[in-house]
Amino acid sequence: MLYALSKITRKYGSRTVLDIPLMEIEKGAIYALLGPNGAGKTTLLNILGFLEVPTTGDILYSSKPVNFSESSLQNLRKEVVMIDQHPILFTSTVYKNVEFGLKIRRVPQKKRGIIIEETLDLVGMRDFEQAQAHRLSGGETQRVALARALVVSPEVLLCDEPTSNLDVENQAAIINTLKQINEQRKITIMFTTHYMYQVSSLAHHTFFLDHGKLTTAQAEPFCQG
Amino acid sequence: MELLTDSFISAILLIASLDPEVFSIVWVSLKVSGISTLIASLMGAPLGFLIAYGSFKGKRILIVCLNTMLALPTVVIGLFVYSFISRRGIFGPFDLLYTQKAIIIGQVILILPIVTTLTIAAISRIDERYRKTAMTLGANRWQTACVIFREARFGIVAAVIAAFGRVIAEVGISMMLGGNARGFTRTMTTAMALEYDKGEFILAVALGIILLVLSFGINLIFHFFQGRTRT
Repeated sequence: MLYALSKITRKYGSRTVLDIPLMEIEKGAIYALLGPNGAGKTTLLNILGFLEVPTTGDILYSSKPVNFSESSLQNLRKEVVMIDQHPILFTSTVYKNVEFGLKIRRVPQKKRGIIIEETLDLVGMRDFEQAQAHRLSGGETQRVALARALVVSPEVLLCDEPTSNLDVENQAAIINTLKQINEQRKITIMFTTHYMYQVSSLAHHTFFLDHGKLTTAQAEPFCQG
Repeated sequence: MELLTDSFISAILLIASLDPEVFSIVWVSLKVSGISTLIASLMGAPLGFLIAYGSFKGKRILIVCLNTMLALPTVVIGLFVYSFISRRGIFGPFDLLYTQKAIIIGQVILILPIVTTLTIAAISRIDERYRKTAMTLGANRWQTACVIFREARFGIVAAVIAAFGRVIAEVGISMMLGGNARGFTRTMTTAMALEYDKGEFILAVALGIILLVLSFGINLIFHFFQGRTRT
C-alpha cells in the first residue's frame, strides 16, 4: 500500500471541506478522482502531495507514518509531484523550467541535460527547448509542466484536471503520456477529471468524492461497458 | 519666452562644450544618488521581501507605517539627520555634516521606504502558484523564496529605478546636509536652485536637460531589459 489515510479532515475556519475516514492507494496504479466542483478534490490532492496539512487524521506513506513537520514534508515532496489545473511556468526558457527540480536535487549538469532532452522528447516538446515558457499555448504549457514533473522521477504524480481547456489533440497527447509513464516507470498516478471517457481510457480505479466525503474507502475498479 | 529659448540654446552649447563644472556637478549627483540607491536597495529589497512573504503580528501596521514614510518631506529628513550629525549631535565627532556621506545618509532614509513598499507590492502580486510549484518540485523554503524573488524581479528593478529617480531629483537633503559646496557636495538640483537665486538660468537649464536625459535613459534601459527578457 502506498498511501493509507485515516480519519482525515480538512477545515477552513468552521467549514469542513474534507472528511475521509479511510482511503487506500496502491502503488503503480492509475486512479481517477471524480466529483462535482467544490467536492474537495484539489484539497485532497494537496494533502496527498504534502502541500497542505490535514486538520486532523493520520497518513501512512510507503507504510511509514507521515510527520507533518515542514522538513519531513519537504523530503516527501521529492517523491510526489502535483501538476496544477492551470500550471504556471517560471518566466524563463522551457529548458530552465524543466531543469528546476533536477537542480534542486543537485543532479550533475551533464546528466541533467540528458534527462531533460529525453523527457522533452517524451512529451513532444524537444523543439521548444529554448523557447520562452510564457509564449507557449495552453497545451504546450501543460506538456512542459508534465515534463517538469517527470524529470525528477516521482513515485507519485498528482494531476488536477490535466486536460481541462485543452484541444482534443493535446488531450490525447497528455493522456497517452500519462499511460506510457505508468506502464514504463510504474509511477502511481491520481488525476481529477469531469470527463468519463478519460476515466475509461486511463484509470484503473476510481474514487468518488462528494461534499468532502468519499463514497467508498477502497477505490472501485473501473469497468468498461 | 525669449528668456527660455535663449537659455535653452545657451544650455545646449554649454553641454556641447563639455564644460568641466557641469560635468563635475553631474558626477557628484550620480555618485551620491547611485550609492544611496545601492544601499537602500540592498536593505529595502530583502526587507520588503521578508515583510511581503512572511506572516507575523503587526505586519499591516508596519506596511501602513512604511506607506506613511513615503510622504516624508526631504526637509524633515534633512532636519532630523542634521540633529544627529551636527556638532552638537551624537554623531557630531564624526564630522559628517556638509559631506557627501551626510547626503547619502539622508537620501537612504528618503528612499528606503520607497524600495521597501514597492518590493512588497511586487512580491504580493506574484501568483501563489509559483510558490506551490516550487514546493511540489521539492524546493525548500529558501529555494522557494528565490523563485518568488526571481519572478518579482521586474517589479523590484522598477522599485530601484523609482528610488533613484527620487534621490537624483531631491533638493532639500542635499542642500541641508551637503551645504552645496562647489566641486564637493554641489549636486544638479542644488546647483539649479543656486543659479535660480542668482538669476543665472543657463547652467540651471543645462543641468535640467541632463537630469531629464538621465531619467529617460535609465527608463529606456529598464524597458529594453524587460523587453529582451520577455521576448
